[in-house]
Amino acid sequence: MKDISNLISIKKKIILPLLFTIIFSYFLFIIFIAYFPELLGQQLTNSSISYGIIFGFLLILIIFIVTLVYVFLSNKYIEPEIKKITL
Amino acid sequence: MNTIAVSLFLLFVLVTLYITYWAAKQISNRDSFYTAGGNISGFQNGLAISGDFMSAASFLGISGLVFATGFDGLIYSIGFLVGWPIVLLLIAEPLRNLGKYTFADVASYRLQQKPIRTLSALGSLATVSLYLIAQMVGAGKLIQILFGLPYDLAVYIVGGLMILYVTFGGMIATTWVQIIKAVLLLFGATVISILVLYQFNFNLNLFFSTAVNNHELGSKILNPGGLIKDPISAISLGLALMFGTAGLPHILMRFFTVKDSIQARKSVVYATSFIGYFYILTFIIGFGAIILIGSNTDYLNPEGGLIGNNNMAAIHLAHAVGGDVLLGFISAVAFATILAVVSGLTLAGASAISHDIYANVINSSNKNEKKELLVSRLATIFLGILAIFLGIIFEKQNIAFMVGLAFAIAASTNFPIIFLSMFWKNLTTSGAFFGGLIGLLVTIALVILSPVVWVDVFNFSEAIFPYKYPALFSMTTTFFFVICISLSDRSNQAIKDKKGFQEQFYRSITGIGIEEGKKH
Repeated sequence: MKDISNLISIKKKIILPLLFTIIFSYFLFIIFIAYFPELLGQQLTNSSISYGIIFGFLLILIIFIVTLVYVFLSNKYIEPEIKKITL
Repeated sequence: MNTIAVSLFLLFVLVTLYITYWAAKQISNRDSFYTAGGNISGFQNGLAISGDFMSAASFLGISGLVFATGFDGLIYSIGFLVGWPIVLLLIAEPLRNLGKYTFADVASYRLQQKPIRTLSALGSLATVSLYLIAQMVGAGKLIQILFGLPYDLAVYIVGGLMILYVTFGGMIATTWVQIIKAVLLLFGATVISILVLYQFNFNLNLFFSTAVNNHELGSKILNPGGLIKDPISAISLGLALMFGTAGLPHILMRFFTVKDSIQARKSVVYATSFIGYFYILTFIIGFGAIILIGSNTDYLNPEGGLIGNNNMAAIHLAHAVGGDVLLGFISAVAFATILAVVSGLTLAGASAISHDIYANVINSSNKNEKKELLVSRLATIFLGILAIFLGIIFEKQNIAFMVGLAFAIAASTNFPIIFLSMFWKNLTTSGAFFGGLIGLLVTIALVILSPVVWVDVFNFSEAIFPYKYPALFSMTTTFFFVICISLSDRSNQAIKDKKGFQEQFYRSITGIGIEEGKKH
């Protein structure tokens, strides 16, 4: 077996912050729902779109972004490192 | 009966049966039956995964929930979506690198085969059967309303077609049924949404304000309502949805149909995009239904409720914006959706029986590929008949808790075992087996004692366990017991288990040693 410590540390540096982003923003959403439902129901000025809907769609956007960022970083940093080991 | 719906549905059945015939000729061994030989591309698999995940229950159920409560539907959509980045970041690639046919391959990679495969198969079968019953009952009722067929006949049709697809066409047919269904469903939902938004010149502000004025709850539909009442339930539901997806056997199985971990990653990216897009559409459809059918007497019964029930919101809306043609199309798609989802579930259940229980527990000394393939086909027929039987028994039962329980078991038994076996070097056979078993029993017990079964099904006045969602407690229980038992395990097996971690971890992140898809 070759040394994979470098690959592990790159993977950790990429995956952990992204994982944290998802878990943090999702549970923030959940906490708001549980403790401050009225706040989420407040509507933007001159609009009938509520903060809750904005927050929800922002979360969907965050999920898309995290997915794309992971693929981008994976192709750029993780795959070359795996190639080094497998070749 | 809508003739367009019936003809479109018959067309779908003809095409999928032809695909099954075509697939059956290619199935020569286990690889092709369980995983389509690993020849599915990342894009195709992404579509098939979204086909597996976008069930009729989530299409009609979530748009119906949005129709009834507004914002609360969004909480569910996001919960179902947020499981996907977890699958992407933690599970998909190592799973593909370590496994071959079922997630039990991964869980038992360095542990003792028999106990871990038995436990994983138990977790798989529990999840799959609950899901299957919910789908069958939903299917029977939906087809009753849409096509005017008797409930029992609808269940026979769904069960019978599913047995044909899976028994003869295995994973190849199942995958293509999923892909076709996913494309049809995404197309249909897009058409409804565009037609709805077109009426408001794509002005979202006007769209939401009209919905608020039209709904009896008024502006309350823009904030969280009665779905979640206390913080513990909120967090518990959140955990089940977030980690449940990563423990669904029929979803995990799909990662073995692609060539390698790069394709597995691609599959999740495509799946996440399709599923996320789909949930945005269900939200628009739900709000559209509030405006266009919520006060239209054509779609309401004398009591003022929706004809059928709230789950019919999307179907009625299709008629309201697209007439009989769109109604027929969406009805046929709903039928197709049910067929595709039950096929995926049955295949996952059958492979747990044949590959895990039969080939590696009961008959592990005498490996015979032909026999295993035969057993998986027999298991498919058995599960299909069981699903029909249970679908009929549960017709009049309250089964609302079943999908929730399936997710709770997936999050509290399957996910912890897969996760710890992949990433925690001190996991031992005893820890995984006893911890997982305790977790499974605790999850089932908590659901039975909770309001959704104790009060709603057994009609007791007060629940023993006060929360509707057990995941916060059951997941913690599983992790706690698996970790404690593993750490106190001093057996010789434990030493072997821990020794195997390094080699397993090496393979899980480099992919060295995996069996790649064979070229035809």
